[in-house]
Amino acid sequence: MDSLIDREKEMPAVEISELTLRFGEQVVFDRFSITLLKGQKVLIAGRSGSGKSSLLRSLLGFIVPQQGDVKIEGVLLDGKTIWHLRKRMGYIAQEPQLGEGIVRELLQRPFSWKANHSLRYDAEQTAQLCRQFYLPESLLNKKIHELSGGEKQRVALIAAILLQRPIYLLDEATSALDADSKKAVLDYFAGRTDLTILMVSHDISLSSIAERVVQLPDILAGGRL
Amino acid sequence: MNAAVDIHPLALLAGYVMLLIPLGIIYWYRVPMLGQTLMSVLRMTLQLIFVGLYLQVVFRLNHFGLNILWLAVMITVADLSILRGCQLRLGRIAGWIFLALLAGTAVPLLVFVGVILRRPEILDARFVIPIGGMILGNCLRADIVGIRTFYQSIRTGQKAYELSLSQGATVTEAVQPHLRETLYQSLTPTVAMMANVGIVALPGMMTGVILGGNDPLTAIGYQIAIMLSIFTGTSITVILAILFSARSAFSAYGILRPEIFK
Repeated sequence: MDSLIDREKEMPAVEISELTLRFGEQVVFDRFSITLLKGQKVLIAGRSGSGKSSLLRSLLGFIVPQQGDVKIEGVLLDGKTIWHLRKRMGYIAQEPQLGEGIVRELLQRPFSWKANHSLRYDAEQTAQLCRQFYLPESLLNKKIHELSGGEKQRVALIAAILLQRPIYLLDEATSALDADSKKAVLDYFAGRTDLTILMVSHDISLSSIAERVVQLPDILAGGRL
Repeated sequence: MNAAVDIHPLALLAGYVMLLIPLGIIYWYRVPMLGQTLMSVLRMTLQLIFVGLYLQVVFRLNHFGLNILWLAVMITVADLSILRGCQLRLGRIAGWIFLALLAGTAVPLLVFVGVILRRPEILDARFVIPIGGMILGNCLRADIVGIRTFYQSIRTGQKAYELSLSQGATVTEAVQPHLRETLYQSLTPTVAMMANVGIVALPGMMTGVILGGNDPLTAIGYQIAIMLSIFTGTSITVILAILFSARSAFSAYGILRPEIFK
């Protein structure tokens, strides 16, 4: 209880207020609000096509909502702050598209970017994460297009984890994983009490690591929340 | 050697008579391009007559300002062709593409005429117009391929592009793989042309110099210089066209504006 009170006192990590997302005539979210405190893990569950992915993409500035505000660690997201705020979030997209090249290069590439100059690629941590997520280390030398869907998903997770972000946005991040790999990923995030995690999924079993579950009604194929 | 043999207009009629062969083939096999072919032949004839008459005046006057004006007209037409050819709504950056074409044409043209040919009269009509035209024509083709490849590549690889942004990349950093692909696609034809020049066919400039009454070794010098100029010009114009157009093609959030696609 005390720890909960302590957490309440902390600055919210993610605040979505009165968010409206509309694609043409279709209202995907109508004045949707949610707050995640630092270290909190929340699952937003709903059917496929309910707009869950769009919600996460709006937190990264990939979709600009028609109405409402998003704050990350108290900073209002806009066209100027987004470049700083993206450095605070790790994102795993549904069916990640990782581009071309070798897996190891893909994992190293973000460390050459200006925003990540204070970070260093950690080969030992990479190897350890591979083992933890049941990936052979030899996979690091494979070409990206040779990976299976499940391998891609785990490589995307490792890429995000290596960047040491305090907030993670997971979009159906375990959808292509077998039971063992999925458990390994969930165990990893469950053990990271320092991270704020917003998951969206149709898979309600992810609620095992969530402190809060928000079930989206079926509306969302075109109605209102 | 003698100067180029003149072609009498009536003798040229033999060329039009020869046209009956391809037209006959098109007609016999019912290829749906008879009207289009006739229209193209007509357009070619009228355009070249007009250009020939105009260039005669330009060459006779050989006035600095008129030569520059002719080059500006050629670049403007190329600019409009690029905007139409790359099937994007980039109208508001027409001025930037004009500058990219100008740089891609002017830099190798100045080196070709001023340094390689060592002509002090750099803007002389007989250098600026044919050499500038050859470089510009290739810049036009490269820009169309380059601009289209760049934006389509980001659109088809949208998730990979967004992944880079989400990992902290700036737009400049996130577009690097797309820029590499763009340069590869737009420069490959010139690289391949350089590798095969003289073997598959005698290239245009070399043919022109030989027909103009010069020996083949002189013609080779011109051909090498023009190939190097074209390659330099295309690489300059493509990279500038992309960098300039990107200024208005991405939102403040670094996302490619969907409205640029037709």
